[in-house]
Amino acid sequence: MEALTQLGITLMVLTVTYLVGSAIERRHFDSLRKREARLRAFPTVTFERLPEGWQVADSGLAMGSTVVSLDYFKRFLAGLRGILGGRVRSYEPLLDRARREALLRMTEGAVADGYDAIVNVRLETSRLASSRGRGKGTAGVEMLAFGTAVKLVRQP
Amino acid sequence: MRFEPRAPREGINVSATHPLREAALLVAGVSAIFAALILVVGWSVEWAVRWIPPELEARTFGDWAHHLSSPEHEAERLAVEALARRLAMHWPGAPYEFQVTVSDEPEVNAMALPGGTILVTKGLLRESQSENELAFVVGHELGHFRNRDQLRRLGRGILYELTASALFGFNATAPEVTGFLGQMADRGFDREQERAADRFGLELVQAEYGHVAGAGRFFERLVSRTSGLGDLAAYVSTHPASSDRLEDLRDYAAERGWRREGVLQPWTRSD
Repeated sequence: MEALTQLGITLMVLTVTYLVGSAIERRHFDSLRKREARLRAFPTVTFERLPEGWQVADSGLAMGSTVVSLDYFKRFLAGLRGILGGRVRSYEPLLDRARREALLRMTEGAVADGYDAIVNVRLETSRLASSRGRGKGTAGVEMLAFGTAVKLVRQP
Repeated sequence: MRFEPRAPREGINVSATHPLREAALLVAGVSAIFAALILVVGWSVEWAVRWIPPELEARTFGDWAHHLSSPEHEAERLAVEALARRLAMHWPGAPYEFQVTVSDEPEVNAMALPGGTILVTKGLLRESQSENELAFVVGHELGHFRNRDQLRRLGRGILYELTASALFGFNATAPEVTGFLGQMADRGFDREQERAADRFGLELVQAEYGHVAGAGRFFERLVSRTSGLGDLAAYVSTHPASSDRLEDLRDYAAERGWRREGVLQPWTRSD
């Protein structure tokens, strides 16, 4: 009885988190695609040096970050992966979304400030420790995108 | 250098596998591993129990269950213990000195604990309407001792937990899976053990009273009341499928020509 109740609750939570999680994920990917298309012409590049011929009038730090955490369903799948090994597929879309969202936020900020491009773009990840399990648990992951935003001298 | 804006390619960083397919594959794989583990643990325990003589078991676990008994039930405890020992007289060469512990719980339940201790709940004593009825429940637990089920259950529990935590202790999801599968496996092992213990309990009742009246009464009430459950839920969950077992008991008694009618001894209930 008890085992069945427990199983029932687990299955219910798995179903709900799966349905809600995938709906949110779908909407987020749609939003990412739209915003990426809008900003496509804005150069965000990883060059450390300015391309030849660029004349910089002003520069600044551009930065965008996201913090993501797992839903129960994804965590469950990843937990089973931890036993069998292999690609942790359930985390992949989550981290993909986090990277793209962080890059978009960085770009959107630079556009709003009137910059023309961002060079030397970098991505960094850090784990946010959870207070559970003496900080060994993971509360989430921060994805940080940053680079040098530049305003170019307009050619007359 | 030229810069030409392009759309990023999708599908490189994210696998195309559908999450539900992934879930199905993973659950199947992990279940297979645990099923194998449960089998190996079951076999090892079957093998190990044969090498542990009951005397060693009694010496090891001797008095450990005594503190579970509440002092205010001492009179009842002695009465049930006397009943258990009377029944055990019909089991020649019983290697245990049986002791009874009465626990305060209102649920109807009884349990065979390693070392020869029978735990009965206050709820069971309250529910019993005749001594015969109670004798069958106690006899059933004696049946567990004869088959060493208490030791098997303990051994399986320890070994399973140990192996599972040694193998998967680092994993946060594993306990959920191991716990559930472990309980299910116990159920599977239990079904046969319960049947064997039932038959032995019935034999003792027949030997003691010359008939088996009242023995099945307990189950009959269980079966008719499982829809209402209440306090009986505990007994049903650790002693599954009461209606099947009732039928099996009837057949068993009929085969041997045991009478199902007879004078019931009163059981003085206290509240």
